This record gives sequence, C-alpha cells and structure tokens, in this order.
Amino acid sequence: MTADLGSGIPVAAIHVINLLTYILLGTVLAIVATKKLNRAVTWLTIQSLFLAAVGGVTAMTTGVADLYLAALLTAGIKGLAIPAVLFYVIRRIGVQKELELVVSTKTSLVITGALMVLAYSVIPSTLVSAAMGPNVLPVAVALMMSGLLLMVTRKKAITQVVGLMVMENGLYLAAMATTHGMPLIVELGIFLDLLVGALIMGILAFKINQTFDTINTDRLTNLKG
Amino acid sequence: MEILLLLIVPVLTGVLCWSIGPAAWKNRVNVLGSAVVLVIGLTVAGRVFAGGTITGWSEALYLDPLGAYILAVVVLVSFMAALYSVGYMKAELAHGVINEVKLGRYYLFYHLFVFTMLLVVVVNNLGVMWVAIEATTLASALLVGFYNQKTSLEAAWKYIILCTVGITFALFGTVLAYYSAVKSLGEVSNALNWTVLLANAGKLDPGLIKLSFLFILIGYGTKAGLAPMHTWLPDAHSQAPSPVSAVLSGVLLNCALYGIIRFHTITSAGIGPGFSARLLVIFGLISMGIAVPFIMLQRDFKRLLAYSSVEHMGIIAAGIGIGGAGLGAGAKLGIFGALLHLFNHAIAKSMMFFAAGSITQRYKSRNMGRIRGAVKTMPVTGAVFLIGSFAITGAPPFNIFISEFSIVSGSFQQGSFLVAVLFLVFISLIFAGITYHVSKMALGKRPERIVPGEENWLMVAATTLPVVLVLILGMYIPPWLAGIIEQVARVVIIRGGN
Repeated sequence: MTADLGSGIPVAAIHVINLLTYILLGTVLAIVATKKLNRAVTWLTIQSLFLAAVGGVTAMTTGVADLYLAALLTAGIKGLAIPAVLFYVIRRIGVQKELELVVSTKTSLVITGALMVLAYSVIPSTLVSAAMGPNVLPVAVALMMSGLLLMVTRKKAITQVVGLMVMENGLYLAAMATTHGMPLIVELGIFLDLLVGALIMGILAFKINQTFDTINTDRLTNLKG
Repeated sequence: MEILLLLIVPVLTGVLCWSIGPAAWKNRVNVLGSAVVLVIGLTVAGRVFAGGTITGWSEALYLDPLGAYILAVVVLVSFMAALYSVGYMKAELAHGVINEVKLGRYYLFYHLFVFTMLLVVVVNNLGVMWVAIEATTLASALLVGFYNQKTSLEAAWKYIILCTVGITFALFGTVLAYYSAVKSLGEVSNALNWTVLLANAGKLDPGLIKLSFLFILIGYGTKAGLAPMHTWLPDAHSQAPSPVSAVLSGVLLNCALYGIIRFHTITSAGIGPGFSARLLVIFGLISMGIAVPFIMLQRDFKRLLAYSSVEHMGIIAAGIGIGGAGLGAGAKLGIFGALLHLFNHAIAKSMMFFAAGSITQRYKSRNMGRIRGAVKTMPVTGAVFLIGSFAITGAPPFNIFISEFSIVSGSFQQGSFLVAVLFLVFISLIFAGITYHVSKMALGKRPERIVPGEENWLMVAATTLPVVLVLILGMYIPPWLAGIIEQVARVVIIRGGN
C-alpha cells in the first residue's frame, strides 16, 4: 500500500541518506555534550546543514522540485539566519556557558543514548519500510526527544531555543521520511514562523537579561499558584 | 473577495497605528480599522450562514459555518477589546506607565495578532492552519511581555516556549494526518485540505489517525489551556495588558480549540466517534477539576479569571466530547451547549477582563485582598463586574447557565452519570469560590486611599457593551442564533462507520 513512497529511491541514495542521518545523531550528541552556548549553536548549524543535505539527496532521487527549494530554505534559514540571530544574542548578552546544570552533561548523554535506542525500538516496522531507508524515522524521533530533553534540563534561554530548533529539525526529518516533506506552502509558512519565532525569542532573551541580569530561566519564579 | 480584505485590513491598521503621528490619531485608526474588520467579518459570516460555505483562491481559502462562527466571535471580541484599549491605554499614558512609541507598538502587535487569528479560521489547509496558530503565539508573546517587568517577561518567556513546544506536537500530528492521507491518495498537494481529508476520512489508516489525534490534542490542547498542559496560561493571561487578556482568554483559546475540533471531526468520520470524544471528555473534566483549588485559594484578581478560562475550555471540550458520543438527543444537547458556550464564554470573559482592568487600574493592585468596595468606587464598572461574575459562574438568568445546563442534561440523557455528576460538582465549587472572592471585592466600603469615579467613558462603554448580550442570551436565544448553531453542529458531527 505504500509502494509509491519508498520505491522511488535507489539503494545508493539510501546509503548516503543513512550516512547523513548518523551524522545527524552525532550532532545531537555534540549539542548535549557541550556546556558552551557558542558551541551548541555551532553544532545546531552543522545539524541544519546536514538536514538540508538529506533534503537535497531526496530531491535528487525523487525529482520533486519542491524539495530542492525546501532544502535550500533549510540551509538558508535554519543553517544561516537562525544561528546568526542566536550568535548575535549570545555576543550581545555576553553569556558563554551553562554553569549550573540540572542534569550533568554525562548523565544527559546517557539519557540521549537511551532515547535513541527507544526511538529505534518504538517505531513500528510498517512505518519504517515506507521511509527512505530504515534509519530516517527513528533518527527523526530521536532528534525530537533529545530536543525536548535539552529544553527541560537546561536553564539558559539560548539553550532552550537550541533545543526547540533540534525538535523542529527532527520534525522536518519525520515529515521527509514519511511523505517527502509537507506541501510547499506549509513548509514556507513553517520556515517563516521559525524565523520570526527565533527573532522574538531573541528579543525576549535580551529583555530578560536586562531585567534579571541573567538568562537563567530558573530565576523566572515570581509567578505561582 | 471579502475574505482577502478581512485579512489585509488588520495588517494595514496595525502598520498605520504604528507609523502615524500623535496618540489621538493612533487611537482613531485603531477603532476605525477594528470597526471595518467587524463589519466585513460579520457580513462574510452572515453570507456563510445564509448561503453556505464560501471558498476562494482555488479552495485555499475556505469558510464553512464552523469557521464563520469562530470568525464572528473573533471580530466581535477583538472590536470590543480595541475600543477598550483606547481608554485603557489613555489611562496608562496619563499615569506614565507607557509612552507614545510603546502605544504604537501595542497597536501594531494587537492588530497583527487579530490578523493571525482570522487567518486560522479562513484557511482550508490544516498545515497552514498550524502555521497560523503558531503565528498567534508569536504575535501575542510581545503583548504578554508588554510592560517589561520581571513578572511579565517571565510570563512571556514561558508562554512562547511552552506553547511553541506544545504546538510542535500538533505539527507532528498534522504530519501524521498528511501521511495517512498521502498513503491512500498519493502525493497530491491538497491532501492536507480539510475538504479532502474529510471526504476521504474513511480511507485513512485508523492507527495513524488515532496517533495523529493524540498529538493534535496534546499540541493544540496546550494552546487551548487544557489541563495538565495549562501551566503557562494563568501567567500569560494575568500579565498581559487587560484588553489583551480579554482577547487571549475570550478568543485565542477558541482558535486553538477550533484546531482540535477540526481533527476531532476527521477522526470521528474516519474511525467512529468513540475515541476522540472520550479523550475530549476526559481532558475537559481534568481541566475543570484542576481549576477548582486554584480558584478557591487565589489571591491575584486576573489569575482568578485566567483559571476560570481553564475551567471553561474544559467545559467546551467536555461538551464537544459528549456531543460526539452518539447520535441521540443527548449528543445534540452536548454539541449545542458546547458551541453556545464558546460564544457565551468569549463575551462574558472579555467583559470580566475589561472590568478587572478598570478596577486594577483604579486600585493599583491585582491583589484581591486590597480591593474592596468596587461597586461604591466605580458604580458602573463595579456593577458590571458583579453581574459578570454571576454570569461567568453559570448562575441563572445569564447566558452561561443555559449552555452549561444544556451540556449537563446532554450528559444525563446519554446515561454518563459520572461525567454529569463530576461536571456539576466542579462548577458548583467554582461558583462558590468565585462568588466568595467577588463579593469581598465588589461589596463593602471603599478604602479611604482610593479616589472614587470611573476612569473614562470609553472604558465604561466597552465594558457595558457585552452585558447586553450576556443578559439577552440568558433569557432568550433568538431562533436565528439557534439556526446558526445548528448549522455549525452539522459541520462538527459528521459520522463514519466503526
């Protein structure tokens, strides 16, 4: 019943995509492992560029023209514009490191590893066979879960935005794995939302830093009950 | 192409307010723009109710009775809030809380916010609907953080982060829905269109559709303030400027519920009504239950109203769930009550936030312990506030009583006694809690330090306007309104086989 989806992609391309998705997993681990905000954003940039590469390969093998545009936009917005915003905020605020961690980087790495194993084991095989190789959907789900982990365990506003973008990257990959991406108009809208979202989160991080003298979100505890 | 005009006018209004001269002109443009949007919106909605669904731009724009109903609520409440904003911000300017530059920014984001909400209801593609719902968060986040205080920035940050994460789940749900559609229809670009999905609901993969609805419910449920994903809501709704609080509580929550309703209908049409309806009832009751202790022990005036919104979203969700659980008279009562409640709550809650805004501005405090004798201090606003609190808690003879009664009797007719009893217990407790707080605030003697009198006539007018609707709809539902809700209900309950 899913013949029209999976069959379009030749074996060689699946190997390339497999390799790229392993690199994506590596970038997630790198983001989780670092305490330095700059480095986290750098790894996010690399992740987004490799995500664009997955899109590019899929575009080549399927010949769907929309996918080229989506891949270009991924590189341009997720790999260029959003990191630029984040780097700018980091430089202006002058905060370099996650200092007090809720969960140490070592423990987070172990949890991330466990999440990856979980992702590989929970994805039903019926979904996997429809994808572009067996690897893509589990990696996508692993990305989403690791992004969520980053958001709940890190305190700096910037790292939370990075976690959010990792989640979005996972989601984008999931959409590509299942349906070769969402319809173009939807993709365009999502990119716009992401860009504006990053800008507004940057503005708020500025203001929080001005008012609280910190971007540690665990200081945000005035509102209760 | 009135729909297109409807989308352009708010953007133009916002940009104009932001760019032109002194505050007086900003205010005028704001009111004029909102009035134009109101007229166009109600005209378009009226055309849908009279002549059926409108489509445009090769079906990219799509307005059926459900969309038109929410559209009417959006334009009505956002017009009243724009009117109220003028008076409210005039007072803030006079007190030196804001300056003219900030006023311009306020109107810019306010009207962009209205634009995004209108976009939610007029698009056919459920992916684009997601984009619009996320855009509502982005447009309103800076409004929540408008006062740049510690508390408001905290609220804005939690709001944008939690809602964006939540809604990411909804996007995953949308991807799954698209996947299930593509599996049966092939990779056609309109496979995410509501019309296409609904027409082919029977062919969708049942497992995927269930999974999709789960993610949608968690995702849009976060945005709609359904418990236990509601934690951002009391912060954001209490920290925003009061006219924005009114729009957030009154209509933005409904826009998120609208997303859930669309998917609920598709899920019901695909795999039968039991699955999604039951989930809606459960989440609805949890939301009502969680609101109880927070309302009873509340100290902050606006947080009280915010938790009441959590309760009311729960009521609507439960009502839609009850309405989805069969084809009998009970289901009809449930869905009728839920849809009527959506309107009633929007009107009553925005009225309450207007009154709360005027009262907190006068008393310079949101602490309910410091507010006494509101009726004596501000005769009109205080009276409206007292009426509003009875209306919002569902006391007769006000409009919310009718819709709550309808949902409860629907539940009894279906024999779901547990649901009905829990429902009644929760609304009774909340009635007691709110009445206790309000009676202490509204009645009694005015403190010496407070100067009596209303702030300005604009705020009074905007606050009094909804009272008329609340009173009329409490005693009498005009046949045309009943007819409209009947039409909307037919969109929501389309049944498929099991």
